[in-house]
Amino acid sequence: MSAHERDLGRVQSDCGRDAGAYVLDALEPEEAASFHRHLDACAICRDEVQRLREVVERLPLAAPQLAVPRSLRRRVMRGLRDGGAQGAVGHGAGRRPWRGAVPGGPFARLAGATPAVALLGVALLAAGATYAGVKLTEGSGSHERVVRARVTSPAASAVVRVHAGRAELVVRDMPAPPVGKVYEVWLARAGRAPAATSALFDVAADGSAAVDVPGDIRGVSEVLVTPERRGGSARPTHAPVITARLA
Amino acid sequence: MALVPEGHARAFEVVFDRHAGPAFSLAYRVCGRRTMAEEVVQEAFLSLWRSGARYDPARGSVRAWVLGVVRNRAIDALRRHVARDAQDVADEGFADRLPSPELTEVQAARREESRVVRAALDGLPPEQRQVIELAYFGGFTHTEIADMLDVPVGTIKGRMRLGLTKMRLALKDPAEMIA
Repeated sequence: MSAHERDLGRVQSDCGRDAGAYVLDALEPEEAASFHRHLDACAICRDEVQRLREVVERLPLAAPQLAVPRSLRRRVMRGLRDGGAQGAVGHGAGRRPWRGAVPGGPFARLAGATPAVALLGVALLAAGATYAGVKLTEGSGSHERVVRARVTSPAASAVVRVHAGRAELVVRDMPAPPVGKVYEVWLARAGRAPAATSALFDVAADGSAAVDVPGDIRGVSEVLVTPERRGGSARPTHAPVITARLA
Repeated sequence: MALVPEGHARAFEVVFDRHAGPAFSLAYRVCGRRTMAEEVVQEAFLSLWRSGARYDPARGSVRAWVLGVVRNRAIDALRRHVARDAQDVADEGFADRLPSPELTEVQAARREESRVVRAALDGLPPEQRQVIELAYFGGFTHTEIADMLDVPVGTIKGRMRLGLTKMRLALKDPAEMIA
């Protein structure tokens, strides 16, 4: 009898018929509790559950594997450095980016592990300009340049952070795009029509968003945002709602 | 991971970098919306940071622990969203627009493992693959699936068990995939 036949033969056994649904978390709560108790007394089912659980633990990889947006990593690390104990954070830029934190607060937690990061934060506090309560480095010629954007919505604000040839757009209090549309980011270079990017975004409930601007930002004169159909457009179909002049 | 409960941000960054890819991919597979998937992963990792002390190595790998949390949150988020706004249109296609990263060895290995697992799942008879996908990625119970497919609950349980067993065999030895 082959291993296949033995394993498949075990499936025919009635004992453990709930094992598959159990490891898939698909039993009703009472059934799950009952089967869980059964496992204490049944070594066969324990083995079965263990074997099937190995499969279920790999099931997430059946999903198409995607790149993690850089802005997501930044938001998580920012939340972590903000203390990470203040409840769920929103989707967007966050209300208290770690750069604006007071030394000795969240930085104290990091001091031992990431001295360079903590020192950078202190340096920014010393040399930066102020924007919405956050210390920035515009014009300082140091690590990051921050450009305040023009936004058509009076209540909204937006900045583009440029660092090492790459850029991030951060918006606050931005109204949601019209129904059925998303915001699309465009890059304009002198004398050329704005070029579409793959950056399409919506805003969180509080109007915030942080979006990586794809590609090398060098030579770009303006970063523009327009509302476009879902999936994006090849050419802008609306006037820009955000305009950031980089050059 | 042992350092995380002590508040070592660096250790947590390693955990994030190692597992964020599968986590985001899973969240997107469940939610079908990039924004929601990002929110799910963000909240899941920050909750893990806050509750790192509750990780029990005896109960499985870090990856299984992380992805379990992400899956539960993704299913919850999807249900809340469906309940709140059934009219919303999924932003299908967003994932395809994500920039392709330069493949590191780790990423290449993950993609290869993903290919193997997907082949094992795709190799199942459709009725077995369907119930596994509905349960795992859809968060449906076997009774909900039975109602949905108009099939007895016992049949659904049997398909789940048989499908997972076949997948296990296929993953152990892809050449022995059973039709």
